[in-house]
Amino acid sequence: MSELTHATAPKRFIGGQLLGSSQLVLGVILAALCIAISIAAPQFYSEANIIAILRQCALVLIVASGMTMLIITAEVDLSVGASLAFVGCIGMAVLNSTHSLTLGMLAALAFAGGVGLFNGLVVTRLRVNSLIATIGTMMMLQGGVYLFTREAVQNHNQLASFTDLGAGYVGAVPVPVILAALIFVVAYVTLRFTTLGRYLYAVGANEKAVRLSGLRSERLKLFAFVVTGLCVGVAGMILSSLMNAGQPTAGRGFELTVIAAVILGGTSLLGGRGSLFGTLLGVLVLKVIDNGIIILGWNQDLQMVVPGVVIILATYLDIIRNRANVR
Amino acid sequence: MSVDFLHPGEGVVIDKDVPALELRGIDKRFPGVVALDNVDFTLEPGKIHALMGENGAGKSTLIKIMAGVYGKDAGTIRLRGREVDIKSPRDSLKEGIKVVFQEIALISEFTVAENIFLEGYPTGRAGSIDWKKIRADSAALFNRIGFNVDPAARTGSLPVSQQQMVEIARALAHEARVVVMDEPTSSLTPNEVSLLFTVIQRLASLGIAVVYVSHKLDEVFEIADTVTVLRDGRHISTKPIGEHTSDTLIQDMIGRRIDNLFPRQRGAAGSKVALSVEKLSTAKKLDDVSFEARAGEVLGFFGLMGAGRTELAKAIVGYDPIISGKITVDGSRLAPHDTRTGVRLGIGLLTEDRKSEGLMGELPVYQNASLASLGAFARLGFVDKAKEHRAVQDYVDRFRIKTPSLFQQVKNLSGGNQQKVLISRWLMRGLKVIVVDEPTRGIDVGAKSEIFALIDRLAGEGLAVVMMTSEMPELLGLSDRIAVMCEGRLTAIMSRDEATQENILNAAIG
Repeated sequence: MSELTHATAPKRFIGGQLLGSSQLVLGVILAALCIAISIAAPQFYSEANIIAILRQCALVLIVASGMTMLIITAEVDLSVGASLAFVGCIGMAVLNSTHSLTLGMLAALAFAGGVGLFNGLVVTRLRVNSLIATIGTMMMLQGGVYLFTREAVQNHNQLASFTDLGAGYVGAVPVPVILAALIFVVAYVTLRFTTLGRYLYAVGANEKAVRLSGLRSERLKLFAFVVTGLCVGVAGMILSSLMNAGQPTAGRGFELTVIAAVILGGTSLLGGRGSLFGTLLGVLVLKVIDNGIIILGWNQDLQMVVPGVVIILATYLDIIRNRANVR
Repeated sequence: MSVDFLHPGEGVVIDKDVPALELRGIDKRFPGVVALDNVDFTLEPGKIHALMGENGAGKSTLIKIMAGVYGKDAGTIRLRGREVDIKSPRDSLKEGIKVVFQEIALISEFTVAENIFLEGYPTGRAGSIDWKKIRADSAALFNRIGFNVDPAARTGSLPVSQQQMVEIARALAHEARVVVMDEPTSSLTPNEVSLLFTVIQRLASLGIAVVYVSHKLDEVFEIADTVTVLRDGRHISTKPIGEHTSDTLIQDMIGRRIDNLFPRQRGAAGSKVALSVEKLSTAKKLDDVSFEARAGEVLGFFGLMGAGRTELAKAIVGYDPIISGKITVDGSRLAPHDTRTGVRLGIGLLTEDRKSEGLMGELPVYQNASLASLGAFARLGFVDKAKEHRAVQDYVDRFRIKTPSLFQQVKNLSGGNQQKVLISRWLMRGLKVIVVDEPTRGIDVGAKSEIFALIDRLAGEGLAVVMMTSEMPELLGLSDRIAVMCEGRLTAIMSRDEATQENILNAAIG
């Protein structure tokens, strides 16, 4: 018995952890896309373009990091797009009146974290299905932002540090990319190496079993909602820095991009299964497609159509691969 | 063949010499597995034929081939002497084979009568459905099997036992010659079981060949004429039931002898009270339940369906809320009443419903085993995987859990091995009291004795074991003391020596 165990363990570590599941399919898709686009348009591989792609990825990856945790617990948050816009307006307004980036940032995090907490409480206490609960929140936020401001909140201070948040660089790397990398790494380590991460998977895999084991399953879910909210807070401030204003219309469809990236990365909507590495690949695939469509000068409306096709295709390939692996 | 479907067996002459259904040399392979290997199976009209075997023996594959759910890879199927080709469930039903699966395939939003005539509603003038005829015909069908269900009732509102009757009525409506019942009693009360048996015997008396798939020896001895045993996809034996004893049947099923199903290794129970329950009541079921369980004893709880055993199990570990009463574990009160406190004090539940309340099917064996004790393998919140794996491996070895590796998804293990993983989960945590609810449900005969030995060992190591069971042999074989429940109340507590089947059943009836 123990021989068997040791014989299979290393295989799992080499092939299994990184490239075992849908990540392999996704890695191949990503490589194929990059090769195809750079043959058709060599400027794809310029340093400027690669940095542009990474910057595009940053916002999505930040929120997708939280969303991956949340979906692993078998819940979902559709309000992140609406929250993103609202957060930008609030952060900018606080920034304007206090002249402090720190306070603006704190206000944004407090608001977005509060939205996450609200979602989490509605789901865990009132037992409303998260899909429905967060559609409700989304509608409240979409309407609520216009009660807060009819038009974009302009940047009155032009604080250099605030501008750097979206547009600055450290060396050759844009600040948003660094922030995204930091958040990604923290989330990755949490999910992969900590008890908290293991409990998040467990609660998604079987909430009743987790509760019977003496763990507080509601708190774990609440945690994932709040983390997702806080990620939206960071992303919202970066976005308003990039636009140099708080835009109530920003973030339309953002929740779909985020969820698409997470699902594309192999995280199961049923919970208990998924990885942040997959999410990273998912974000890259979606954004490389976006970028390719622009570089190749195709109709921009394809930016929605192509990812739709890719999601269905990738999920289907995953099903085929799973079927082949049975036994 | 024009037969009035209300009177099968009367319109045609059933030739007793021609088998109702004859399967010869059936092979079925799935990728990497031979599910059936050259299996023969012959059904006589008017006879009840039990099909037995452990999980994975090939019973379900065989009946799914009869039902047309799977195609066969080799072999022939003859119906009343004529070779037939069954390609789909529709073909199977058309040929007069009706399989009543465990998961009943009725449309729960439809009425009983609508379900019975689902495949072809009788129509009246202008092609409109003749509802009156449907109701009348349904009532007539129920009359024939000697069972009464309101044809106008919404199917989903009926208990499982009555839904089974609807399926049987459907079989008659289709002029079925062969009716297959797949583990029909797994969720029935004793009363419903005896009713079902009457109906099955009625079917046989109508000349229908009945296949009765079951694990339960006592039922098979009660109802079957003939028994066929499969093991590892192969046909092992077909004999009249009179030529079998429990021992020979078990031996055929598992391929070896089990000398003693209930080996008792442990010594006498201690006197230290590990769990005390006082005047416990819940909103739905439990009414003023009080008892104590001592360290080192197995306290068995018996009761009929709906007596409140599972409710009691879930209440005393803090999972379900209580409205009044006091639970004390190893001297400390279980308050606040939740599982977090319960586990901290040392009481845990081994659930009857492994799939929905115990296992994390998608996750690997080691994560399932360490769920309740993960904190012990962590430093500053980081899991020391090497330490964790060593600890789990230790249990895998000690309990002889059959798994290709610690990384195997637990859903791929057999029921017995899954149960051992869940027992490991609690032992790794360290408990004072373990509540086990139907510990051998869905577990093969062979693996059962291992679970019994484990439970014996738990008590031997000084745990108080509170065991909820509906299986009389299990109750009598394992318990030091026996408590009996009826409709949410505790009706008797007796020592093993005082207990007889008779006084236990009397207390269970109330």
